[in-house]
Amino acid sequence: MLHEPLHAGRLRLRNRVVFTAHLTGYATDGLPTPRHTAYYAARAAGGAGLVITEEHSVHRHDRPYEKLIRGHDPAVLPGYRALTDAVHAHGAVVLAQLNHNGPQSSGLYSREPVRGPSAVPDPMFREVPVAMTEADLDEVVAGYALTARHCVEGGFDGVELQCSHASLVRCFLSPATNHRDDAYGGTLENRARLLLRIVAAVRRELGDRVLGVRLGGEEGIEGGIGLDEGVALARLLEGTGEVDHLNTSIGVATASLHLIEASMHTPADYATFIPSAIRAAVRVPVIAVGRFTEPAVAEQALVEGHCDVVGVARGQIASPDFAAPGGPTRVCVGCNQECVGRVGMNQPLGCAVNPRAGHESVALPMPAVPRRVIVAGGGPAGLRAAATAAGRGHRVTLYERGRLGGQLALAALAPGRGELAHVVRDLVAECERAGVEIVRGEPGDLGGADVVVLATGARPARRWPGALDVRDVLDGAAAPTGAVLVVDELGFHHATSVAELLAARGCTVEIVTPGMVVGQDLGLTLDREGFRRRAHAAGIRLTTDRLVTAVEPGRVTLVHHPTGRTETREVDAVVCAVPAEPDDALWSTLRDRPGVHRIGDCLAPRRMDAALRDGERLAVNL
Amino acid sequence: MLTSPLQLRGRSAPSRILFGPHVTNLGRGRALTERHVAYYAERAVGGCGVIVTEAASVHGSDRPYERAPLASSCRDGWRAIRAACPDTLVLAGLGHAGSQGSTAFTGQALWGASRVPDVVSREVPQVMEQPEIDALVAGFASAAAEAAAAGLDGVEIQAGQHSLLRQFLSGLTNHRPDTYGEDRSLLLREVVGAVRAALGPDHVLGLRLCCDELAPWAGITPTSAHALLTTPLPDLPASRALASRESRSELRRVAPSASASREFLQRESGAPGPRVGSSDPASRHVEDTESAVPGDAATLAQLVDYLVPVRGSGLTVPATRPDLHTPPGFNRPLARSFLGLGVPIVLQGSVVDPDMAEEELGAGVALVEMTRAQIADPRLVAHVRAGTPERIRPCTLANQHRARDPRNPLITDEAEPRSGHETLDPALPLEPNGAAGELLVVGGGPAGLEAARTAALYGHRVRLVERAPQLGGALRYAAAVHGRSRFGLLVEWWERELDRLGVEVTLGVEVGREDLTGDVVLATGSVPSPAALVAAPDVVVLPAGEFEAAVLAAAGPRRPSDPPTSEGTAAVLPAGTHVVVHDPIGDWTGVGIAEQVAAAGLPCALVTPDAVAGTQLSRTGDLAEANARLERAGVARELFTRLRSAGGGTALLTDVHHGAAREIPCTVVIDCAHRLPDDGLWRGHEGLLRGGHLATRAAGTPDSRCRNSRLAGAQSATRGGSQRDSGEHGARLAGAESATRGGSERGVAARLVVAGDCVAPRTVHEAVREGRRAVHCLRSSAGVVSAHGPSRDSSRVS
Repeated sequence: MLHEPLHAGRLRLRNRVVFTAHLTGYATDGLPTPRHTAYYAARAAGGAGLVITEEHSVHRHDRPYEKLIRGHDPAVLPGYRALTDAVHAHGAVVLAQLNHNGPQSSGLYSREPVRGPSAVPDPMFREVPVAMTEADLDEVVAGYALTARHCVEGGFDGVELQCSHASLVRCFLSPATNHRDDAYGGTLENRARLLLRIVAAVRRELGDRVLGVRLGGEEGIEGGIGLDEGVALARLLEGTGEVDHLNTSIGVATASLHLIEASMHTPADYATFIPSAIRAAVRVPVIAVGRFTEPAVAEQALVEGHCDVVGVARGQIASPDFAAPGGPTRVCVGCNQECVGRVGMNQPLGCAVNPRAGHESVALPMPAVPRRVIVAGGGPAGLRAAATAAGRGHRVTLYERGRLGGQLALAALAPGRGELAHVVRDLVAECERAGVEIVRGEPGDLGGADVVVLATGARPARRWPGALDVRDVLDGAAAPTGAVLVVDELGFHHATSVAELLAARGCTVEIVTPGMVVGQDLGLTLDREGFRRRAHAAGIRLTTDRLVTAVEPGRVTLVHHPTGRTETREVDAVVCAVPAEPDDALWSTLRDRPGVHRIGDCLAPRRMDAALRDGERLAVNL
Repeated sequence: MLTSPLQLRGRSAPSRILFGPHVTNLGRGRALTERHVAYYAERAVGGCGVIVTEAASVHGSDRPYERAPLASSCRDGWRAIRAACPDTLVLAGLGHAGSQGSTAFTGQALWGASRVPDVVSREVPQVMEQPEIDALVAGFASAAAEAAAAGLDGVEIQAGQHSLLRQFLSGLTNHRPDTYGEDRSLLLREVVGAVRAALGPDHVLGLRLCCDELAPWAGITPTSAHALLTTPLPDLPASRALASRESRSELRRVAPSASASREFLQRESGAPGPRVGSSDPASRHVEDTESAVPGDAATLAQLVDYLVPVRGSGLTVPATRPDLHTPPGFNRPLARSFLGLGVPIVLQGSVVDPDMAEEELGAGVALVEMTRAQIADPRLVAHVRAGTPERIRPCTLANQHRARDPRNPLITDEAEPRSGHETLDPALPLEPNGAAGELLVVGGGPAGLEAARTAALYGHRVRLVERAPQLGGALRYAAAVHGRSRFGLLVEWWERELDRLGVEVTLGVEVGREDLTGDVVLATGSVPSPAALVAAPDVVVLPAGEFEAAVLAAAGPRRPSDPPTSEGTAAVLPAGTHVVVHDPIGDWTGVGIAEQVAAAGLPCALVTPDAVAGTQLSRTGDLAEANARLERAGVARELFTRLRSAGGGTALLTDVHHGAAREIPCTVVIDCAHRLPDDGLWRGHEGLLRGGHLATRAAGTPDSRCRNSRLAGAQSATRGGSQRDSGEHGARLAGAESATRGGSERGVAARLVVAGDCVAPRTVHEAVREGRRAVHCLRSSAGVVSAHGPSRDSSRVS
């Protein structure tokens, strides 16, 4: 079904795959850029039936983040036309998402107070909004109409109204944020009044173009919109006769973002109950979202009747050809490192497993001369370099003395991290398709090589005699029992996932870090809430602000650095998650030979995304 | 002396005050912009002696933040700044952040001396080898040449905070086994040599050098820095280990080789001469001091034209430009310890007071860096020169508008929102001019004070009415919070300004709707929000502002900048009290109040939904230190926690993620939650002008129907039913009689503009911005007052 066309009223799609709206951080000075154009065009070229762009703000006071598209500004038109022409050239339908973020926003950029239904501060932005007056609402409705007009002039096939997880309309719809006692507050009909005014005003501008609405069906916050109200709203919207599709959403971007952009720990298909309930109540096409990582999962949602169209954002970031007949070349594993993690830090969106994501506008002329390339090391950096180099016509041999996938393959053995194995699987498959010769063993004679790529990784730092490394636990070299102290200096999944593994085996586990937060960067990938829940259930103790000063048999000494207080722990084992050491012995012998390069951890031990990026960058520059 | 000129390399700085390099985010891409030009020009016009522009990366491997300038993209910007600051010495800040950089925008490994991850980012850098070192030295040299070609007076080399050069100097970060590790100052010497060679003898070379990493076990100490500066220089190894590599010739093309620069240096230092001179007799001893060093063997100190000793390492980044918890002028002993080395010394370190600057100049320093003080008031030097230092807007040192933040905020100041926005916001008149109409300002907090000041500068006859018996509004309470007394300086400054400008101030009078006639700025502030927790009758719940009001009342009369004593706090919280500070916001208030309670000797817990206490303090640099202070003070930090209810001597807490409940002792809750606008005077008023900041093009009147009914209980004001339909234009002066109004108002024409917390409770920054904007809005709107004459009957207010 995934590849069947959809003809439903004004919405006519070549297949059932939509690239749903998500922030990219590609805008400059409020305008769409060539980076946007190339990014969306690549997904259209890859086969997406429908592309819905990131939100376009409808009012100048609405500037929740720096790199926002200001759809209310007529200066967007040239960028709109370039974007829509490029997507249309590949046969996809393209909608602009329109939004006003209301109180889920900041006055930092607008230098204005934020506005909302009531003076209820957002839990993340924490600014008190001005309760909007009727005139304020008129202005916002006019802003939607103006922006819709720009979209029509700019060649969009229609618009989608963002009325879920981060929007003024949501804040009006949700009893948690709408405390008004006027015609815009109280009953569902009143709370939906602003939405219905916007629908009417936007329809007037659109003519017979597509008008979609994205609704939430479970906000996951106290007093928020639940499924019943989501379904009732869907009926209300269908009743207007103006709405061509209903997209769905779960969570609130500024309170329960981990529900919206769920990580690898959340099963695929987790939010399908919402479109399913809505589809049962209305006749307009319904879009499902929620970690549809592989086409088969999307197919199943369609076949089971939960939805008419499937939203795939991260899956198509990772693999623009998700909707191609041959299926995707790689899958999104829900690591959230470079998409969610970067956008949340005001950085342009990327992808850990697809280093090209967001760089589609940079041309890569094919190399004039094919070269003979030897890659030493089959971890993520080496595999990426080999696959890309071979795909660009070079003759590549990759040597790996142990297990393909390097540390990534090990990390995949930890609880909840199994999808990391897909990265290795996809890289190896890409190498095989591109004709990389993979040899098990050490690289021998380098004489014939034009280029030698050292991707030999990193080895555990052995800081304290007797202490184990997380890798010892994962690869089975050690199986600690009893009381285990996990020492975390990396602040990511290394310590937390191994702690979970050991707790599940019956160990009594404490994670100790010199930092202020255990697993600090889990916040970036939206894994913190889930980890803290699981850790609580497993009885894992989380301790901050402690430096390890001595490790003796059975006993560890810690210093609480804010106070200088010394503590001890009686433990059976110590497991370290500390910076690794580059395994760069080959570099010291080969550094003066021309054409030798280091990539990945053997250059500087970092994370998966850096390894893949290093490999890609080197290979495209050969 | 502060205002007397200073000669450096034959170039004259008009005063002894330096504006140091700092992150502004005023760039576009990696270039300097017209916003930079306007920002620096404002300080130059204000009398600044030396401006060091935002540090530019000398090599493409370095992009420590998104808008970090790149030297090779700065030529046009430097030229434009030069042209806009003709009388000021302008130097290009040059640096490389090394392992304290960011990989976010380059996608490539950081450069580092050794494989030591940065404490903040936890990124492990790539260890620099000879090609990278050569490229770095060449980058410094070519950037210096570029700056000189752009007409700048010279450069300042960054070897302080966020610098690769410091990382090479420090045993914390340089564990190299090679010559750059055996001699950790080698790289710095190579860079200084190459930069001097690139600049030639006529340009200024300043060095910002970390002289105390506050980590004596391995870091740079004042003693080691002293040795570094005074040890006679060995010959630079002209034939460095890898001098034959390709990159050497590359380096030579850009800058003379190390040995060539050494020759140059010897030539230069052969006749060192006094490089500090002045026509001011009071500064003679400075010359004496500086030329007192015998100078046969050149030292690093003698190779540079000035030295800025700074402190702090990657372990203590905030120590370099700390917030208001560190006393101003903390580096005075450090700076004085470097006098007499043959190099002019610049005092850096939270210097905000001209008297302190004057005193240190008298003690022998050549220049005083007053960066944040000149962000707060660009005319600082001009005021000193004019003999009006009392008019300098105080710098709070709160760092709340620091630009080094992932959101890329523009640099600005708590109480001077035009800073960093010189191309956007109009400049205010320097002296009262013109003769405009009358203006009534209701409310004497920051928004009202700044509106009154602004209007008076435009020549309005201003009357300010405040219901409290003193000026300052919520700012007085903010200044009473532990560690934040510098905010009181602003109140005192506004009091002086209003007095100087002849604003008529009426205290202790409540204004009603019927008093609103003529042109009015409403700045009536905020009221507490109802507590979000369930509190039994035996628990006292005090909103933070009301708590501080009570403390101030108990502490007795005092200047706003004079912090209340612990006795004042203890008088409000009797012995035996168990205090729970409820902080759902995570800014400076909750942390400060918890410290205040602990300082009064009472048990205290801080409840926050966040992973740390005071999460918003990451921007000010106080985050880690604030949490450490709480730990040392014995405050229990209840993290990831919500306060559900209190009663019977305990508070019920739940975890924000897994919901587990626990109880802690509690008899008093100090609630640091958001406040709500005190908008009773303006909601529904027909004379409200839209355009201050309440809406923009389409005008209209607020409608009381939109009031937040659930929260309205906390507010005193209630009004009649709906006044108007939407779509009517409030910019027109409303008819005198409004049939639907509550009835108490008389038919008096009024134009209202609202500002500050009565719109939405925020900080002093927004209040000041809106106070000014309110006056600009009134001035640019159709002149009701001029059309109708001065408002009638305004004396009724009293």
